[in-house]
Amino acid sequence: MNIVTIAPSHAKHKGPPKQLVSRECGPDGCEIDWLASTRHDSDLDVVGFTQFAMKQGWGDGLPLVPPTEARVRTVLAANRRYPDEVVAHLPPSRAACTVEKIVINAVMAGAPPESLPLLIAAVEAVADPDFELFGVNATTAPVAPALFVNGPIRDRLNIPYKHGCFGGAASAAPAIGRALRLIMRNVAGQVVGITSQSTFGSPSRLAGIVVGEWEERSPWTPLAERRGVSGNAVTAFGGMGTMNVLDTTSQKPSEFLEMIGKSIAYPGTNCFSPSMPYGEVLVAINPIWAELFAEEMPDVEDLQEALWRQASVDADWLERRHRGQLEAQGRVRPDGRIYMTPEPKDIILMVCGGTGGLHATAIHSFGSSLTQTRAIV
Amino acid sequence: MATGFVLDPTTSTADDISSPGPDAGDLNGKVIGIRVDQIWRAWDWISEIWAERFRSAGAEVKFWRSCGRSGEEGERMAEQLEEFLASIDIAVVGLANCGSCTGWTVHDALAAAAKGLPTIAVATANFEQFAKTLAQHGGRSGLRVHVLPYPLNERGREEVDSVGREHFAKMLATMGAKLRNQAAAA
Repeated sequence: MNIVTIAPSHAKHKGPPKQLVSRECGPDGCEIDWLASTRHDSDLDVVGFTQFAMKQGWGDGLPLVPPTEARVRTVLAANRRYPDEVVAHLPPSRAACTVEKIVINAVMAGAPPESLPLLIAAVEAVADPDFELFGVNATTAPVAPALFVNGPIRDRLNIPYKHGCFGGAASAAPAIGRALRLIMRNVAGQVVGITSQSTFGSPSRLAGIVVGEWEERSPWTPLAERRGVSGNAVTAFGGMGTMNVLDTTSQKPSEFLEMIGKSIAYPGTNCFSPSMPYGEVLVAINPIWAELFAEEMPDVEDLQEALWRQASVDADWLERRHRGQLEAQGRVRPDGRIYMTPEPKDIILMVCGGTGGLHATAIHSFGSSLTQTRAIV
Repeated sequence: MATGFVLDPTTSTADDISSPGPDAGDLNGKVIGIRVDQIWRAWDWISEIWAERFRSAGAEVKFWRSCGRSGEEGERMAEQLEEFLASIDIAVVGLANCGSCTGWTVHDALAAAAKGLPTIAVATANFEQFAKTLAQHGGRSGLRVHVLPYPLNERGREEVDSVGREHFAKMLATMGAKLRNQAAAA
C-alpha cells in the first residue's frame, strides 16, 4: 500500500498531518475513506459515462471523463490537499464547495491534476462577495467568469497567451475553464432555464475563458501584480463575451486609443445599464501596440486614463428614456458625457495575443461583479 | 463494457423551511416596508399605488431602494437593508423581473423572513418559478410570492397603474393581511 502523507494546506487544520490513501491502496486496502461523495454505479468508458452523467444532470453535452475514486485520489495526492476542505459556499445553491467536489468536476472536465491550485484560487476569487456571483449565476445576461493567469504557472499549465489565446490554441485552458463551469453547474447549482435565466447564454459558459498575460512582452507590471498579487495568480473577471476591435489605419497611440475607446463604449453594454451604477471592462492589448503605447505612456495608469476618456458617449446621443434614467442616477458629467466606467482604474489592461497585431480584444463586465485576484498556492 | 463506481459531482442544499411564515394580519398601525430597485419603473409605479392604499388602511409605509450589491456600495446596501428590516413590521420585496434582480429580490425577502417578518416577494409571471426555486435553494421554499403579469415594464403608466390597482387585493391575500377598513383601501 502506498500512503501519501499530506501537510495541512491551511491554518485551520491543526494537529499532525493526516494521511491520504493513494490510488494504489485498492478497494480493500484503504484505511481512511476521505471521499464523502455518493458513489454511483456507471459505465466507465467515456461514451457510457457521458450518457449516464447527462441523465443525472451533471453534463454539459461534451464527453466527460468518469470521476472514479482512483482518478480523484490521484489528483488529491498529487496536490497534497484534503478533500474535505471547504473552499467556499457558491450561490445560488449556497452549498459547500469542497476540494473533493472541485476535483471530481475537474476530472470530469479533463483538467490536468496540476491545475487544481489554479481552480481552487479561481473558486475563491469568484466566491468573494464583491464578485457578486449571486447575480452572475442568476442573470438574464450571458456573463461567465473569465480567468486571467499571471506568473510562471502559465507555462507549467500550458495556458495560452500568444496567438489565439482567447480560443483556438491547443492547450489545457478549455479543460480548466470547463472545470469551473461544471463546478458552477454541479456545486453552485447554476442550471440553464431553472436557476440561470440567461436569455442567450454564451460560448464562454461551456469552456470558460482562460488566458495568460504575455508578461515578457508587456512594457508594464503584470496585471495581477498591479492588483496586489505578484507571482502565480489568477484574476477572475465577470465577462460578457469577447468583442474585437480592428485598427489598420491609426499610427499614433492617441489614434489607436480613440478607436478602441469609441468601439467599446456602445450603449447596450451593461456598463451603461441603469441597473449597474458601475462596471469594468478588460481590454487585451496585443504586444505590438503595447510597445507603441508604452513609448508615450510608460505608466500604465496614463494609458488607462487616456482610454477611459475615449470610452464615453455624448448623453444627447442616447435615446430619451435611456438618457433620462442615467441622468437621474447622476451619470451625466458636467462635460455632457456619460463615461463607461466610474474611473480610469476600471479599464483593466493586459498584454497578450499574437504578433500580427492589428486587433484589440475587449470583454465588458456584468457590472456589479467586481474583478478579483487571488494568489495560486 | 466495464462498469464501476463514480463519485457524485453535485452538492446537496441546506435544510428547508416550507412554512410561509407569519400572516401580515391587521395592517392598521403597522409599518410596511417596500423594497424597490433602480431598474423597474413599473415596480416604482405599482409600489406608489400600494403604498397609498396601505396608508389608507392605517399603516405607515417605508421605502428602501436596492442599488449596487458589491464593493463599497454593496457594504452600504447591506447596512441599509439591516436598518430597513429592523424598522418595519411587514416586508414587500420586489421586483423579480430579471435573472439577477430575481436573485436579489429573493435574497432580501429571505433576509426579511429570517427575521420573522411577514414577507412577500413580488415577481412577474415569467420569473415566478425561478423565484420559488431560489427560495428553495435559500432554505425557505414556503416564501410567499405574489405574481404580477409579464411583460410589465414595457407597458405604459396607465396600464401599469391598472395592474397595480387590480392586484392590491390579491397581494393582500398572498401576505395574509386584513384591513380593518376595507373601503378605505379599496
